[in-house]
Amino acid sequence: MPRPAASPRRAPKRRQPGHLAFVFRPLRLRWYDGEVAAIEAKDIYKAFGQASVLEGVDLSVDAGQRLGLIGPAAAGKTVLLKLLAGLDRPDRGSVAVGDKDLASLSEAEIMPIRRRIGMAFQSYALFDFMTVGENVAFPLARAGELDDDTIRARASERLRQVGLAGSEDKMPSELSGGMKKRVGIARATVTEPEILIYDEPTAGLDPVTSAKIYELLAGIQAETGGAVIAVSSDVEPLIEFSDTVAMLYDGRVAYHGAADEIYDAEQALVRQFVRGDLEGPL
Amino acid sequence: MSVVSRIQALGRSALALARGSRDLAALFLSTLRGVARGRRRPGETVAQMYEIGNRSFLFVAVTLGAIGMVMVYQTALQLERITGDLSLVGPEFLSLLVQDFGPTITALMLATRVGAGIAAEVGSMKVTEQIDALRMSGVSPVDYLIVPRLVASLVMTFALAIFGTAIAYGAGGITAYVSYDLNPRMYFDVSQVTLADVGLGAVKTATYGLAIPVISGFCGLRARGSSEGVGRATTEAVIGSSLAVIILNFVISGLGIYGLGLVEP
Repeated sequence: MPRPAASPRRAPKRRQPGHLAFVFRPLRLRWYDGEVAAIEAKDIYKAFGQASVLEGVDLSVDAGQRLGLIGPAAAGKTVLLKLLAGLDRPDRGSVAVGDKDLASLSEAEIMPIRRRIGMAFQSYALFDFMTVGENVAFPLARAGELDDDTIRARASERLRQVGLAGSEDKMPSELSGGMKKRVGIARATVTEPEILIYDEPTAGLDPVTSAKIYELLAGIQAETGGAVIAVSSDVEPLIEFSDTVAMLYDGRVAYHGAADEIYDAEQALVRQFVRGDLEGPL
Repeated sequence: MSVVSRIQALGRSALALARGSRDLAALFLSTLRGVARGRRRPGETVAQMYEIGNRSFLFVAVTLGAIGMVMVYQTALQLERITGDLSLVGPEFLSLLVQDFGPTITALMLATRVGAGIAAEVGSMKVTEQIDALRMSGVSPVDYLIVPRLVASLVMTFALAIFGTAIAYGAGGITAYVSYDLNPRMYFDVSQVTLADVGLGAVKTATYGLAIPVISGFCGLRARGSSEGVGRATTEAVIGSSLAVIILNFVISGLGIYGLGLVEP
């Protein structure tokens, strides 16, 4: 179905793979055919006090797939991400990572499963008492599977890939917002997790830095071949980045389908949201 | 507000208090399990001991010193007016310091300085999602943040309580000598202090040392929102820790004096 082209927002261009995506693309093939765990949320309900946030959300992401999660402010996007990462528990429903239901496991049982998930946080969440290098190396060090030299080398390599070579000894307070985002992404991906979750990876960044970040995410995803779930208020680049897009509205999934088709979605509110129209049901 | 609304509000508060108490107890048990597991960041406990202990020495010394001076001065003043016999001022003051005032006032000081520090640090990490980042790295925030602070607090509360008691006793002795010309040999007579006094003081010190970091850490872990949430958590930590010290003192003193008959009332 042809996409409306009345404004630049309505006619996003599919970005050509950047050099990182190109380099990593062949590696992606290794992970297909169901080798990588997918994540699936079924009938999720979550409320905080009297305020109901999620009401029967169903969502799944296959290995190798990029899901973009959009929705108005306070639609529960970050809440859903934290439920998917096992950082919070749904009031009802299940969150399956592979064959494990996170909602029914204890914190101690979830911990090893979380190592298969990498998450970059909206507010960077860099440990302010550690250097950049220590931040990135932290998940590897805690896994306790590699020696210190290998961990340092891996962390430095990941920092180089995100364009922050030589920043190992800096403190997070010395970095700009974009650099912090990239350190957060480096830390989330350094263990090459099977599921990557990005909460507002480009919030507050200029368009060029934002484009670089998405190129970086695409490259890393191509490298790991894992499932990616990304939330962003900057809808257009996220749709370009994603294979499928889900829109949360009023505690439910209002749309879940191919990214290319969201501009022509049946639901008027979805079309209005992604096009940024002033007139409509929203 | 109608009567029904008032009752509902009361019920909600009671439920919130019950849930908070349950969560606090769970955190305390989880912290003890963490201590037993022995998984701690290398050097972190020592760093926390420095933060909690060394950096509180001056604060505790000034406070306990001033309290020792005032208490001895006022006690001697009253005794001089009534009996004129000041021979028991030193021994009785020491007994009181060992079983009660030394540990309790030291703990109250720590509840303000250390409790606020722990809640602010942990609360900041909570609102900036660093706690979630720890969990995503397969790390228990309790093991990583609360356990080292609990061990450090336990050790340093003992050290500071002994130090504070000595300072208060010494400052009182100097005051008694300067103001009332009381013979130091008479004042520094330790014969009134019993093993039960020491035991009661030690139990209180240990309890305070455990309570302050757990309550403060609990308040920090419950912080919500942004800097406002951290501020609220810090205030709650100071109030909660101070109240806990006072209530624990009341309970342990009651048990020691009237329950077990360890110390004469």
